[in-house]
Amino acid sequence: MEDKNDILLKQLFADAAKQTIEDNGFTERVMMNLPETNMAESRVRTLSHLWTLFCVGVALIAFWLAKGWPIIESVYSGGKHMLINAIEVFLMTAPTTEININPWLVVLLLGFVLIFLPYQTYRKLSATL
Amino acid sequence: MASISDIALVTQVAVFHNKQAFDQLVRKYQSPVRRFFLNQTLGDEQLSDDLAQETFIKAYVNIGKFRSMSSFSTWLMRIAYNVYYDDLRARKQTYDIEDSSAVRQSANTGDSNIKMDIHAAMALLKPDERTCITLQLIDGYPIDQISKITGIAENTVKSHLKRGKDKMANYLKENGYGG
Repeated sequence: MEDKNDILLKQLFADAAKQTIEDNGFTERVMMNLPETNMAESRVRTLSHLWTLFCVGVALIAFWLAKGWPIIESVYSGGKHMLINAIEVFLMTAPTTEININPWLVVLLLGFVLIFLPYQTYRKLSATL
Repeated sequence: MASISDIALVTQVAVFHNKQAFDQLVRKYQSPVRRFFLNQTLGDEQLSDDLAQETFIKAYVNIGKFRSMSSFSTWLMRIAYNVYYDDLRARKQTYDIEDSSAVRQSANTGDSNIKMDIHAAMALLKPDERTCITLQLIDGYPIDQISKITGIAENTVKSHLKRGKDKMANYLKENGYGG
């Protein structure tokens, strides 16, 4: 809710907010004072970016030609069963077998860590722009 | 998130060192950046243009570090804020003298009475309060964006805004506004 001070200041600042400063050669002065980039370094960096783009392109084409999606699905479902089996075997053979732990609970905990950690990292990176 | 046209221009500058693309970015953002400095320096045009130029040069040199997690304008304003505070720290010992001379200079450049009174009221504020006030009232940034630009916690930004607005409103009311 706005108080009287807010309204007064908004009225007074309204014109200032609309003010546009004409360029008047400012951009030219900035462009003239930009530091020169090292051409050799720049060329290597450009080639490196182009090479990365090329590799990504080749990988995508190879993925499409080899019908990669079913492979990823089978690896995912196989991996999921392997993980559950491994946890079940571990729980049966571990010294603390008297505690009954559902393997899905362990999977959920792992999932939480795998989702929560990247999310926190993303937030930290966002905060630093 | 950054707008697509800004991302395209930034990519051109960062990957191919395309100066034409950077020229377009400078033309697009010179007005808000110079206006920001003009308000922080209370109307000192020469100093504002020098600081704005330094901001764009730093943006050009560090453009590879822009990650598109915020808009390009927010990233640029953060650089502007850092440039202003670096300059403020460098001139700290003579700050009070220069501050008053800047107010005089704006008074001599034929500004309207309202503009002079606004600058006089802003001169009463601490630098952080002035920055938060101008970013909100002139540049229209919401509190979370002001927090990102200045690196100040949102609650502190709110306190700066409240204190700054109270000081300015009291001064302006004493001078016959809002009666």
